Amino acid sequence: MKKHLLLFLFISCLFGYVEVDAQNFRVIGTTMDASTGETLPGVNIIVKGTTKGTISDIKGNYSIEVPTKDAVLVFSFIGYKPETVLVNGRSTINIRLVQDIKKLDEVVVTAYGTTKRIDLSTAQTTVTAKQINQTVNTTLEQAIQGRTAGVYITQNSGQPGGGISVNIRGVNSINGTNEPLYVIDGVQIQGQSVSYGNSSSSDPLSGLNPSDIESIQVLQGPSATALYGSLATNGVLLITTKRGKAGDTKITYSYQTSLQAPPKHLQVMDLQQYATMVDQFHQIESGTTPQEFLDPTLLGKGTDWQSALFRNSVMYQHQVSLSGGSEKTTYFLSGEYLNQDGVAIGSGFDRYSFRLNLDNQARKWLKVGVNLSFDQTVENLTASSESLIANALTLTPQIPVKNLDGTWGGGDLTNGANQYAPVNPVAIANLITNKNTRRQMLGGTNLAIDILKGLVFRTTFNTNIGYQNSLYYKPTYAIGWDINTTASLTEGSSINTYWDLNELLDYTKQLEKHNFDLMVSHEAQASTWKNVSAGRTGFLTNDILDLNAGDPSTASNSGGQGTWGMESYLGRLNYNYADKYIVSASVRSDGSSNFGANNRWGTFPAISAAWRISKEPWYHVGFINELKLRLETGTTGNQGSGGIYSPMGTAATQWGTGFLPTQYSNQNLKWESTTTDNIGANINLFNNRLQLEMDYYKKNTNNLLMTNPEPYYMGTSGDGAIGAPEVNIGAMQNIGWAFTLNSTNINTKSFRWETNFNISGFKPKITKLYSNAATVDRTSWWMGGFTQEARVGQAPWQFVGYIQQGLFQSVDEINNSAVPIDNNGNRLPTDVNDVWVGDIKYKDISGPNGVPDGIIDTHDQTDIGNPWPKFFGGFTNTFSYKGFDLSILLTFTYGNDIYNYIGMMDSNPNNINISENLMIAAFNYAKPITNADGTVTLQNPNAYIPRISYDTNGNGNWTRFTNRWVESGSFLRAKNISLTYNVPSSFIAGQKIIKDVKITFSAQNIATLTGYKGYDPEVGAYVGANASSSNQAIGVDDGRYPLTPVYTFDILVNL
Amino acid sequence: MKSIKYINYWSLFAITMLLLSACSRDFLNRPPTDAIVDANFYQTDAEVMAGTALLYSKAWFDYNDKASFNLGDFRGGTALSQYNYQDNVWFSTTAGDAELASAWMAFYNVVGQANTAILNINKYASSAVTPAIRQEAIGEARFMRAVAYSYLVMNWGAVPIITNNQTILTDTTVTRNTVQSVWKFITNDMRAAEADLPETPYAAGRVTKWSAEGMLARFYLTRAGVESSGGVRNQTFLDSAMYYSNRVITLSGKSLVPNYRNLFLYNYNNNNESLFELEWVFSPGSYGTGNSTPSYLAFSPTIENGDGWGGDITASWWMISQYAGINPYGITGDTLRGRTLDQRLLQTFMLPGASYPEITQTVNGVDIKPFVYPNNTADNSTASIKKYIVGQAKDVGGLSAVQNYPNDTYMMRLSEMYLTYAEAKLGNDASTNDPTALAYFNAVHTRAGLGALTDTTHLTFDMIFKERTIEFAMEGMIWYDLVRLYYWNPTKALSILNSQDRGLFAIYTDVYPNPTQWTFVKTSWNTKRYVTASSGNFLLPIPAAETTDAPNLEKPPVDYYSK
Repeated sequence: MKKHLLLFLFISCLFGYVEVDAQNFRVIGTTMDASTGETLPGVNIIVKGTTKGTISDIKGNYSIEVPTKDAVLVFSFIGYKPETVLVNGRSTINIRLVQDIKKLDEVVVTAYGTTKRIDLSTAQTTVTAKQINQTVNTTLEQAIQGRTAGVYITQNSGQPGGGISVNIRGVNSINGTNEPLYVIDGVQIQGQSVSYGNSSSSDPLSGLNPSDIESIQVLQGPSATALYGSLATNGVLLITTKRGKAGDTKITYSYQTSLQAPPKHLQVMDLQQYATMVDQFHQIESGTTPQEFLDPTLLGKGTDWQSALFRNSVMYQHQVSLSGGSEKTTYFLSGEYLNQDGVAIGSGFDRYSFRLNLDNQARKWLKVGVNLSFDQTVENLTASSESLIANALTLTPQIPVKNLDGTWGGGDLTNGANQYAPVNPVAIANLITNKNTRRQMLGGTNLAIDILKGLVFRTTFNTNIGYQNSLYYKPTYAIGWDINTTASLTEGSSINTYWDLNELLDYTKQLEKHNFDLMVSHEAQASTWKNVSAGRTGFLTNDILDLNAGDPSTASNSGGQGTWGMESYLGRLNYNYADKYIVSASVRSDGSSNFGANNRWGTFPAISAAWRISKEPWYHVGFINELKLRLETGTTGNQGSGGIYSPMGTAATQWGTGFLPTQYSNQNLKWESTTTDNIGANINLFNNRLQLEMDYYKKNTNNLLMTNPEPYYMGTSGDGAIGAPEVNIGAMQNIGWAFTLNSTNINTKSFRWETNFNISGFKPKITKLYSNAATVDRTSWWMGGFTQEARVGQAPWQFVGYIQQGLFQSVDEINNSAVPIDNNGNRLPTDVNDVWVGDIKYKDISGPNGVPDGIIDTHDQTDIGNPWPKFFGGFTNTFSYKGFDLSILLTFTYGNDIYNYIGMMDSNPNNINISENLMIAAFNYAKPITNADGTVTLQNPNAYIPRISYDTNGNGNWTRFTNRWVESGSFLRAKNISLTYNVPSSFIAGQKIIKDVKITFSAQNIATLTGYKGYDPEVGAYVGANASSSNQAIGVDDGRYPLTPVYTFDILVNL
Repeated sequence: MKSIKYINYWSLFAITMLLLSACSRDFLNRPPTDAIVDANFYQTDAEVMAGTALLYSKAWFDYNDKASFNLGDFRGGTALSQYNYQDNVWFSTTAGDAELASAWMAFYNVVGQANTAILNINKYASSAVTPAIRQEAIGEARFMRAVAYSYLVMNWGAVPIITNNQTILTDTTVTRNTVQSVWKFITNDMRAAEADLPETPYAAGRVTKWSAEGMLARFYLTRAGVESSGGVRNQTFLDSAMYYSNRVITLSGKSLVPNYRNLFLYNYNNNNESLFELEWVFSPGSYGTGNSTPSYLAFSPTIENGDGWGGDITASWWMISQYAGINPYGITGDTLRGRTLDQRLLQTFMLPGASYPEITQTVNGVDIKPFVYPNNTADNSTASIKKYIVGQAKDVGGLSAVQNYPNDTYMMRLSEMYLTYAEAKLGNDASTNDPTALAYFNAVHTRAGLGALTDTTHLTFDMIFKERTIEFAMEGMIWYDLVRLYYWNPTKALSILNSQDRGLFAIYTDVYPNPTQWTFVKTSWNTKRYVTASSGNFLLPIPAAETTDAPNLEKPPVDYYSK
């Protein structure tokens, strides 16, 4: 029944668009800026009460036919106050529009409603379409970077379409995700940091076309977010897409093409250097140096794997949009095609997207709207899933990309140590297909009924249907020793559906200076997902990538499905006295299927108040024209991912299907809740030319939800384990601040200079762990067991390791220092096979009793790095001169650490013996020498890379992580520079098709000031094939896909 | 007028209020839709037995994978990897070692799954489940738990005994229990399993009373050393070992497979010599239920399904020198030469020129069958692992894939009972002439193609130890034999380890293929050949992550039974 009603509404919208013709009376005129007197092109002019409309031309002139001489014209233009003018028989009407710099009357979207910006009593920032258009964005998260205070964005991977970590107000949870809630025209999508397996580097939100976005509201304060209750702890991004406006149809077409440059080379050894190093290794550790390496001068440079993997690549995009409508019906229609090749072979992204937004005033009292968007993305994920970048950095230059006979080059079994060489990344990129196709339908209808004056009933039904197909094909191949004799194909399909039904009553009432707005609502949401995956092997041809082409007797398959549901009641009262005293109180109650009947419902209240001091009669500070103080407190929640059941997993046995429990249940699981206190102020100076916004907050999270970090002896890790239970593990605190400055520095007739500066910081700290587990660890077994730790008193995910106090310079120094022990607890002997000159000297930090004990063991591990920045932000300057607009965006991050894992791996001189290439700096490994008097010292006392010691690593030179490879991740980046030229009308005069043309050149990521020695300091969360959301490494560079310079040309035509 | 208009509005309002009403009660009740939950399972005999079936495979997977040969053989000195797993080859295993963590994790996964199976069956099994089945399933769980603890205590010494994971999920006060009390717990648990288990298996390969008694024989032989004093083993426990091993030999109906080679030919699974094995099954596309060990041991992808990453894994020099007929040649001590009648050599390791008719080798798309192990004339070659290598998918009826092999892993074979009896009978004496002990020893010895012992008066420990080494090489056994010895005679255990040459060598054939003898020559430039083992090498460190998470593990161990 409900469905039929919605269908009817949808159809009635489509036919609601009716043109009405009228008689002729022509009005002409010029539209101008009131303050500068400059003409204004593009002003929207409509005849009130009709569908007639036009737009002023490039010279600001317009001409419009009106039905009667007493018609009313409405002039509107973005950034200016609209003007309504009675024609009153005049045939020429020149209009001077007043700039609306203040934006004080600007209406902003809030949770379940809208409000005037001045009436906001909560911390909420905005990213506008204009800002989004200044940068080249393939995904919407990229558009926010550097634009707004409080939002810390790091690219997990520079791979096209790759995922991004978005942290609003820092870290508030130590479970899987700190990603915010995205609300796209009412569709709620919980941000995901990572999925598991071959597709883990892709981004679920990459299907959205950033150009369709009208505005992004970043809800940060508790009063703003609490209305989203249990989903909002990590902040909310309210995304509103563009809608049509009454008037002439606007047709826009744009074409964008970009050249993406490869990263700067890291300095690894060429073949001559490699051969020299191989020989040096063999001189120390014995073994035979291949004949051809004995005289390196006879060798060439060998293969430059970085040049072989990286390339200049192209991205292009076509986009077209139509918008317009009558007073009764408006529409926005857009379509896009984007194609991006990655700078690394084995990566790429393309997207088709389509959107239709319709609004119809069906009756005086009835408004209906429809949003419909469809997109498809196709990603090539081979580069990330196969770690091609790390392989390019570690593969010996001795191996050619291709052999003389045309076969792929690779280390072979007969060529000494090359049988351990990494696999040729170029070959893998060409051979392995890892493709991920996503199709998504986001849509919804909404209906609003004016019941009484001030009383509105609104209902929305939104849905999100996603379909994903992944394809992973590995052909038969022989790349040196790496021989794949069986071709295999795995295909996965998944479908997910989400729906949300909301009913809402809103009552507004004004009693003299008292303004009330009361809202109550009920909401139900549910989602299901279902996966099917299948595989076969034994493909005889590589031309047909379909399961049917494989050997049916090898067929495998798996399934899986799940569901969740949530029901909510919410209400809010806004009260405002004369726009001076503003109070907002709200409460939401959520019931979630993730909890048992005893703990199912969570209640999330919030209250905020603002005082606009500048509105007081006694206030007389002329230059400060707006002064607002804000105070708010509220609670949000997190429903986690369930854990009240203990499902039985199945697996094959010789006797049929076997069953094993897969997770310990926890019937007493409770909501995680975060209470935030926020104090803020808005100050506008010099007639709003300088606007400051500042916030300080303290967030306290209790009942942190996460999988209990069990010791291995609980049998909860590895294959065949019973997964650890979900528990409420502890509490944390997060204190932070944000500051935004917007200013119009110069605003003359011909030149305008505007600045946006934002900076923010946060400091999370775990305050309590309920169980007596001392720490919560994330251990990356695929990176030698690199561990990040959450511990009371610290920010989560500190790097754990030892302090390197240089290298041992003498036997005496060893004997006088703490050294590792054998399994009996005895000091390792001081000799070449155990601890020797040139080994790492670790700092003796502690022992079992909390004091240094003269031995090096796990008690001497400490925090060696912090992945979180002290502050970060963005700095935008926009200059407009005549037809030119120049925009420069700098982004910066200060105080975070990066563990340069790839740098460490490629500096271990022992790895030359397994045909791994090294950084040139590895030549300076410690070289112990015996002096004439028998003492042993280092030939190169300043070396920081330990001596060569292949078989014995008693000291653990390369198995213990040390602060030596922790590097500063601070950077200042020229994120974007763009120059736009509005083509003068004289160029396009004499024809009636093109109204105006805009050409933009931009350059992204062209310069980065950083001390970091890897490719790119922007190292977000690990997204390789081994990633899982509960065990995701943060700030560790294992050969990450870097961000590289992008040069773009863009042409936009309005028809 | 106006009021009439609003009446329509009010009716609309009424409809919308209907929409506002709450969802049905079940809306928020959403149990998993893709799996049955524990409380609804264990309803029939078949379900209960399906609930313990994976205790034979998946729960042990991480142990079998690489830890089995890393701990059991590389540390024990029968085989080594030339370039990888150096920690275990050279006894520099640190708390951060990956195989160490996998093994610890896997043994405790077996414990956790066994504990939970016992609790769940007791809690959820319906009245439709027959008491005998309930008892058998619990017996299986106890059996697995005891075996897992035996590996734990032999590798790590004092370890925590956990019998109910669910009550201590958020409790980290768990501390270790003393070695002696762990052994007591293990034998108690196995005796309970022995009482619970039937004489005939529920299905081929499921453990029986005889499996439990075999394990009791192994445990008592070990405990005789654990509770030894002054180098003299506990006679009561020796007697128990004799008692149980003899019962299994004479009463179980089990018998030795006449030809040693057949023990490792596909499909040998659940043959009549087997007392307990990990039950692997080829399951396309899945991971964790097939045997993955062959992937790491096979010397080349050409004889596997694209895996076969063990190109640098070889028999040790010491191991080669154990075989009768392969003797020192010349006076430099760096050469061995000869041939052996012992069929176990070529069924355990591959030597150049030896041919394996059951294995297909595919080189550049061309199938070669029988496969002949290649000659390598470099100064450093390998005697690769043969045991458990069953070739490509086409050699096993299509039933294998990468890391997914169908052949089982022996955890206990009947031949161990013969040697256990002989060793227990020998007991604390220097040698024995007991006819049963001799007959049992010869049963194993002659099955391998060798002649019976000529001297029937002097069966010694060294002879039995050597027989075990050859019989069980690459079955993850020798390290535990050394630990068993170390319990009561540490000097001897250390001297064996320190005498094992683990260096590189070359292998030459006189004829290729089908050589009549081989010459083994130590690689001259490889000077690092021996370890210097100490008592510390008999205690593996607890994985590093473990002591950070559960610092109470560092407290002194307590007696489990004094709690």
